[in-house]
Amino acid sequence: MPPTVSASGLTLRYGGTVALDDVSLRLGEGVTGLLGPNGAGKTTLLRVLATAVPADRGAFTVLGHDPGSPSGRLDVRRRLGYLPQTPGFHQDFSAFAFVDYVAILKELTDRTARHREVRRVLDAVDLSDVRGKRIKKLSGGMRQRVALAAALVGDPGFLVLDEPTVGLDPEQRMRFRELIAQAGEGRTVLLSTHQTEDVAMLCHRVIVMASGRVRFEGTPAELTARAAGRVWSSTERDPGARAGWRTGTGSFRNVGDPPPGAELLEPTLEDGYLLTLDGETAEVAA
Amino acid sequence: MSAHGTAWHVPEDDLRAYARGEATPPRLWSTDTHLASCAQCRETLAALSDPVALDAGWERLDAELDAPRPGLVESLLVRVGVAEHTARLLAATPVLRRSWLGAVLAVLVMTVVAADAVRTTATPTMFLALAPLLPLAGVALSYGPVLDPTYEMTVVSPTHSFRLLMIRTVAVLTVSLGLNGLATLALPSYGLRALAWLLPALALTGSGLALTPRLGPVLAPSLVGGAWIAVLMAARSAAEAHATLAPFTAAGQGVAAAVAVLATGLLYLVRDRFDASRVPLTDTFRGGTA
Repeated sequence: MPPTVSASGLTLRYGGTVALDDVSLRLGEGVTGLLGPNGAGKTTLLRVLATAVPADRGAFTVLGHDPGSPSGRLDVRRRLGYLPQTPGFHQDFSAFAFVDYVAILKELTDRTARHREVRRVLDAVDLSDVRGKRIKKLSGGMRQRVALAAALVGDPGFLVLDEPTVGLDPEQRMRFRELIAQAGEGRTVLLSTHQTEDVAMLCHRVIVMASGRVRFEGTPAELTARAAGRVWSSTERDPGARAGWRTGTGSFRNVGDPPPGAELLEPTLEDGYLLTLDGETAEVAA
Repeated sequence: MSAHGTAWHVPEDDLRAYARGEATPPRLWSTDTHLASCAQCRETLAALSDPVALDAGWERLDAELDAPRPGLVESLLVRVGVAEHTARLLAATPVLRRSWLGAVLAVLVMTVVAADAVRTTATPTMFLALAPLLPLAGVALSYGPVLDPTYEMTVVSPTHSFRLLMIRTVAVLTVSLGLNGLATLALPSYGLRALAWLLPALALTGSGLALTPRLGPVLAPSLVGGAWIAVLMAARSAAEAHATLAPFTAAGQGVAAAVAVLATGLLYLVRDRFDASRVPLTDTFRGGTA
């Protein structure tokens, strides 16, 4: 089965900063997590794949369409759902009116068919009861669901979600994860996140980015396996560890190259992620 | 039973058109709304309809019950013949909101009052200098990442960016030129000379739009506005006291008309670049338009 998204050599500079540096990847059906620290280039990659900004170099296709040409770009946009990192709203619109507005932008001009679609996506994100409420009266979690509903309009084949769980409380986050999991059935979802829990719970593939480059591409189990034999416990902070932090039991959990005789621990996805980032983990895990 | 306590019912011809799916807004909306609360008209409709068309009608009614009532501007646009979906796109234009229109109106009123009170030249210079900048600013602020909170979603939608820009430009130009025109009427003593803002307004707006794909939606209109002010200052220093400034003379108006035509042609040539321009997507402004 051909991949939904196939990219090679994507490079993008903003002034003197290299936001994307020769990024190549392939995405298939299901949810793929995009992990990385701030400034890793995750949002830039998502914007390029969503056709919001063009890359300086490199090429990619979405569902067989090349967005390098005006007609190809239009074809991609017709099959795309995009939830930006901080989605903006017309605050005076109701949830229904806002999603309806996005549906018009997605070329659904027949009023009856469009309203049927708006009701469908609002049902899908459990917002039918508040569809008449103004956006400014909705909680942060509900707004995020409105934005997801807008992204789902038209049943897109490729869904791009930029850190959708940021700012949500734990209960909202769990609810949102369920929605993303449902959205991932039968389509390709690229989910950018800071949270390894999101990846562990939702994703069948994971990509780790740092400094504009792809550092890892594989399954969550393969990322976890990178830390096998490289996680250990100690009573004091181990100065030889790449990163170490005090756990709830009072002991330190260390990742890196363990000293002889160290008490090895079962690795987690987070351990594999930290080791993949390597030198760039200091501020994350110190 | 009558709807809303009135004796009015949907005429049978309208119900037949509704049953055939041929009713159009706004009559379609009136019928939808009335049917929701009038059992008598629903019975009449059932008698007039074939079952398949009736099912489609109920579905439409279902959708109608969920649909938001369009706002004042949106309703007016539909009533004057604008397509319903285009009216919704226009209703989301930030500068067509009351707060913006109020600010523009306040600036115009103050300028007109000042122009009338301090009459030193044959033309209302301050008014003529300011009026072309208002449509330029209005159009610049109607689209782009700075003031459109949904810009990032808009730019990746299949609706062509240039089409959306033109829809909003026409609406903003209509409103802002209309307001400028009303302000002109408040200066009757200057005669036609008070209309010398119109061609510069079209020239500035066209130039600002034509340069946007290359310079971005903030820098392009800012530079054009700055250039206009620079031209006026140069004309002021070159002119004798109380003389009409060059841009407001017949020759100046001719130049403005030529610039407007050239800018419109250039805008047409670069229309596809609105879809692929490297407009920076800022993360700093994510507020609403409320």
